[in-house]
Parts: sequence; C-alpha cells; structure tokens
Amino acid sequence: MNQTPSFQARQQWQQVRDRFDGPNWRLGKHWSYNLFVDPKRLGFVLSRYKFAAKMACAGCDVLELGCSEGIGTAILAESARSYTGVDLDTEAIRAATENWNQPAIRFIEDDFLGKVYGQFDSVVSLDVIEHIAIEREHEFFETMVRNLADEGIAVIGTPNQTAGVYASVASREGHINLYTADRFRRTIEQFFHTVFLFGMNDEIVHVGFEPMAHYLLAVGCNPKKGDRA
Amino acid sequence: MSSTTINPWLVVKEGMRLEPITLGSHVSYWIRHSPRRLLYSQSYYKFAGKLIGPGHSILDLGCGEGLGTWVLAKECGRAQGVDFDAEAIDAAKTNWQSDAIQFSCEDFFEARLGRFDAIVALDVIEHIPADHSEKWIRMIQDHLTEYGIAILGTPNITAQQYASEVARAGHVNLYSGDRLRDQLKRHFHQVFLFGANDEVVHTGYLPMAHYLIAVCCRKRQGGPA
Repeated sequence: MNQTPSFQARQQWQQVRDRFDGPNWRLGKHWSYNLFVDPKRLGFVLSRYKFAAKMACAGCDVLELGCSEGIGTAILAESARSYTGVDLDTEAIRAATENWNQPAIRFIEDDFLGKVYGQFDSVVSLDVIEHIAIEREHEFFETMVRNLADEGIAVIGTPNQTAGVYASVASREGHINLYTADRFRRTIEQFFHTVFLFGMNDEIVHVGFEPMAHYLLAVGCNPKKGDRA
Repeated sequence: MSSTTINPWLVVKEGMRLEPITLGSHVSYWIRHSPRRLLYSQSYYKFAGKLIGPGHSILDLGCGEGLGTWVLAKECGRAQGVDFDAEAIDAAKTNWQSDAIQFSCEDFFEARLGRFDAIVALDVIEHIPADHSEKWIRMIQDHLTEYGIAILGTPNITAQQYASEVARAGHVNLYSGDRLRDQLKRHFHQVFLFGANDEVVHTGYLPMAHYLIAVCCRKRQGGPA
C-alpha cells in the first residue's frame, strides 16, 4: 500500500477535482487579448460588474447592453431571475453563447440603439457610452429608458475624461465621447428622476473627489418616461 | 536675511479667523473615550452628502451636535438638523452658524417639518423599539418629496457582540442587512444596501460589515407593499 503523505494529498485533491464538472470555459478574441496583454484588467472589470449586480440584479430581469463575450454574465446572472445580453459583435456573441447554455440566460446579436427587448427591472451598460458619438448619446439613454420598467434601475459605467491622458492609443481611438463626472450626472439626470454617482479606482468604488476617479459609475432610478426634463 | 521676515505660518493662521468651537458633552465623551468614532461617523455623512448631491434640501434626523449636518450643508447646499436632545441642539446652534443650516429640538414622532428632497438618519432606527419602527418609517415618508431619498445608517446586528456597554444599552432594535432591506423594500421601490467597515463604504458580504447604510428612493404610495 502506497500511503505516503504525497499520495494522500493527491488523492484528496483528486476528490476536489472530481467536482469540477462542466466543459472548460473558452474566451473569445476580445478577452483572450485582454487577459494576455493586460491581465489586471479582468479584476477591475469584474468588480464593476459586481457593483452593478449588488445594486440592481437580485431577483430581477436584467438586460445588458454591450455584453461582448459575456464576461460579466456570471456575476450579473448569479442572483437575477433572467439575463439578456445584447452586442453587435458577431464573434463575441458566438463566444458568449458557446459558454452559456441555460434557459434563463440569452444573448442577442444586434445593434441595440433604438430597440426594445422587453420591460426589464435593470439595465446594465459598462464601457459602451464612450464609444457612441455625442450626437447619438440621447439614443443610448432613450434605449435604456424604453427597456426599463417604471421603477427600474440602470447602472452605467464609463472611464473618466480626466483619465483620458493616461489611456492607451487603442483606447483613445475608440473613446470618442468621454464624460466628466459633471456632464455624466447632468446627462443622466435628463433621463432619470434619481441619479447616484460613484467613482472607482482599480477595484474600489467610492464617493471621493470625482476628477481623481479613474472610472465613473452611475445608478439611475425611476426612468423619465414621456416626462423628460 | 532681513529681520522683518514674516513667519509664513502666521500668515496662514491670520486667514483662519473664526470663533473657537466648543463641542457638547456627547461628542466630547466620544473624543475622550472613542476618538475614532468621529472619523467613521463623518465618513457616513460624507457618503450620504455625496450621493444626494448639490442643490437639495436635506433633513438630518437625529443630528446630535450637528457635526454631520454641517458636512451635509457643505456638500449639498442646505441642511436642517433635528434632535430631541435639547443640550445637543444648543451646542449645534452655537457651533454651526450659517445661512445654509438650521437646527431645532423636535420629537420626530410628533413633528411636521415639511417635505425634503432627502432625509438622512444615522444611528437612529436601532434606538426605536421594533413595534414603533413602521410608524417611524412612515414619518420619514411623510417628510419626503415624490422622488425623495432616505439614507438610513445603523450598526449591523452581527457586530453587537463587540459593542461597548454604553452602546448596547441604547440598541433596542438592531438589524441584519436582510431584515433592513426587507422592511425598507415594503416602503420604497428602490433600496440600495451598503456595508461599512471603518471609513470604507462598500458592497461586500453584509454579515461581515460593521455598519449598514440603506439608500431608499421612491416611496410607495398608499401604504407598504
């Protein structure tokens, strides 16, 4: 009998390992690149999702606008009743769909501007608005409002304009509409009766001096339906 | 070197002309026995003030000596502090004299103070017997505008085992995160629950939060759900 400490340890570990059922997760092009080039990014991106989930997802029907490969789906869907992710990137939606096979989770390949997918309790959209031209930003917020139930909650995240000087060349090319905290709040107040603004540095969400926040997160409640100020 | 060189600190000090502040007996007790309490108490007020944002009318319910009411007034423009402790209100009135702030001694269960964009009540609900807490929440609702915000803070029941004897004596209605959310959800459409440990407000695992802060919006019309 081979009952060395090493053998026992391996045996114990195998018992743990046997519980890891299900297929291996396959990242798509976008997140394979991110994880390889800037691995710490996964940490703060997931913590944005965690904040959104804590604010707006428990027991809710959740819509994510700009879900990419569904990297945040697990966190948003964990406590939700249902999750719907929309993105116009065909490859990203394919990667998301391949990883998820659950009736309460669905992905839609679509340009969501102007579209209605239902009446959701919460709409989450992270790192999307800065890619939409300022002339069309109202369409983005109108889309959020039209997909929300009367007392619904929106969580919107975007990099702070003040951090733009430190962004990579690739990021800068895509970020055609960066917001300061003031403009972010004023814009969202046009579409929601109640707005709470947070700043974020790395994984930490806070209410400190806004110009020094790396990232901005807004929680909008009570969408202005037909009574936009 | 000229003999007329002015000490730069004196220039700074000259710019700080202000009547000295004398704190009341409650806050003085804190400073002597638990000075760190001042830090986290002020940080809860800062959190509330930042969330409410500038340009709103605020009622600080259970304001004590008004150290936090002053944070709200500075962050949001205007604040009114009420407390049933007359001595605390006297200290508040003496120390914080400004157009942006006012204080009055009130029994909130009997009060009619008008409607506010936001009500902040930190460390109040745990002192109200559980069977009166519904009435207290309805009083808060009656003082809020349609889209008014209520921010309530209270120690987590899971931290009670570490509380001082003085603190324990007053805590007749401690909440867990779940019970606080459940009760408030019946009165407001949206309830956002945060935890706090020391000065850090977060959304981590609630049973390990030392303190709970609930942000409530959009009161339900026509009674609790």
